[in-house]
Amino acid sequence: MTDLLESTQVRAMYMSDTASVIEIISDHDDDDGEAAEAEFQDEGVEGHFVLVDGDDVLGISGYREIENCDATYYLSWTYLDEDYQGKGLGKKLLADVLDRLRKQDARKIFVKVSDYEEDGKNVYAAALSMYKSFGFEVEVVGQDFYDDGESQTILGLELTPQSEDLSVADEKPVIRFNGLFEIAETDGAYTFAWIVEKSAGFFGKRSFTPEDLELGISSVKEQGGRKIFLTFPSNLVLIHRPLQAVGFKYVGQLKDYYEEGLHELHFSHDLEGIG
Amino acid sequence: MIPIRDDNPQVATPIATYTLIGLNVLAWVLLQGFGNESALNASVCNYGLIPGDLFSDGNGQRVCRASGEWSGLVSSMFMHGSWMHIIGNMWFLWVFGDNIEDSMGTARFFIFYILSGLAAAAAQILSDPSSMIPMVGASGAIGGVMGAYIILYPKVKVHMLIFIMIVRIPAIAMLGYWVGVQVLGGISSIGATGGGTAFWAHVGGFAAGALLVLIFKDEEMLVNHPYYGWNQKADPLDIWQDPKNRQ
Ligand SMILES: CC(C)(COP(=O)(O)OP(=O)(O)OC[C@H]1O[C@@H](n2cnc3c(N)ncnc32)[C@H](O)[C@@H]1OP(=O)(O)O)[C@@H](O)C(=O)NCCC(=O)NCCS
Repeated sequence: MTDLLESTQVRAMYMSDTASVIEIISDHDDDDGEAAEAEFQDEGVEGHFVLVDGDDVLGISGYREIENCDATYYLSWTYLDEDYQGKGLGKKLLADVLDRLRKQDARKIFVKVSDYEEDGKNVYAAALSMYKSFGFEVEVVGQDFYDDGESQTILGLELTPQSEDLSVADEKPVIRFNGLFEIAETDGAYTFAWIVEKSAGFFGKRSFTPEDLELGISSVKEQGGRKIFLTFPSNLVLIHRPLQAVGFKYVGQLKDYYEEGLHELHFSHDLEGIG
Repeated sequence: MIPIRDDNPQVATPIATYTLIGLNVLAWVLLQGFGNESALNASVCNYGLIPGDLFSDGNGQRVCRASGEWSGLVSSMFMHGSWMHIIGNMWFLWVFGDNIEDSMGTARFFIFYILSGLAAAAAQILSDPSSMIPMVGASGAIGGVMGAYIILYPKVKVHMLIFIMIVRIPAIAMLGYWVGVQVLGGISSIGATGGGTAFWAHVGGFAAGALLVLIFKDEEMLVNHPYYGWNQKADPLDIWQDPKNRQ
């Protein structure tokens, strides 16, 4: 099997690889296959790489840059053809992708993993231990994120060393909620869209109020939502009291998500009172 | 001994502070002829506050103007008696005004400033209602800024220039300095008919500012301010420490 480790190569994914890539993903999970196909259509295949043995595509991995962040990435669909798992190929592919990111001065990469179980076995156990072996660390665990009993673990890896004690100046912008939607790939987990208003006005309020949050909570309830997840940058000091007042709980933070010293805080609200 | 600067961060552009400084300078240039003697005397007469004029019906006793005496309550705030007077006042406003404006917003700060000045004038009038000495100067209103500053940010370090040394002292210690300056007097009212300190105006402005700020400050603007109050700045995440507030 060592020949495969040597004979396989990692190359950029082309649009023409889509069919074979979708096949690999769908073999593991039909839903993921569909979601990946839609994403490749919408956002293209830039930043994606395939592991090939000659003309055969054996695996896929890649990254997508996170908008409005400083050189922060999410690890994209990372799957190996079922017949070629457990042979060190996943490691070879991921190492190659991370190397490319480091060469282009990427700062940080995150990966989201579900704890979904089938026949009492964690489907993503191999992936989780592979990520950890590359130095990824668990940063946030959102309980019941995908569904009741199925959590989301977000791991992060520093690609360039991030300072421990850098802090970013506080901000108190006017934040207004302007929508709510069910989070992709979840069943009943909602989030609010929010914008920062340009001018604060002479006497205008700055943060959102508990009343604003209550309004959103009740419309999520009306739509049958189970849970609300909200994320905010760590330097918005006025968000905490209103969030706590209406029963949000602190989930954790993705360190250095926006930029060095500026984290992404995660909050959740359980509408069924479980957990 | 003068304050050079403070450790207090400026959050927003202090539009009202800059505007007030601009108005004072404009008055000094346009109405007071850069302190040119005749222009200065005329401006102090025309725009100063003369307590004795407010409550008498004139009868030819008026030294300066024949009418418009009540407008002196506000106009006197923008007049000064000498180069040192205006420079000193504007310097204090420059150093300390921005942080007070940051605690309440531009519009509120503007009103706060005028009210402090009016309170200063009221205190001066009460101390000698029949005085015919015109009072001028932003010192009363700036006394209000100082009063508010010490209430809001007692522990922030102010860099004081003492001869050639710079010493950092907490704002609360400046209270002693401010009182000392007032007692020594001399930096304020210089009238057309003589000079003297507007001691009560400064005390009144200072006290008014210290009280008014309690109403005018906006707690949201002060949340997590590194120097607000007596306690050290708290980490905003501290309120989530309790396990019941964590998922
Ligand atoms: C995750 C995946 C890409 C790993 O690729 P792979 O080629 O099978 O893994 P490798 O042989 O290179 O092994 C890499 C690491 O994964 C872990 N791993 C691999 N197989 C494992 C298994 N059966 N059980 C537990 N850990 C396993 C080990 O930590 C291993 O490192 P080690 O060899 O130093 O101990 C592949 O197994 C896969 O496609 N899994 C299903 C899809 C998936 O979970 N994708 C991730 C979605 S977030």
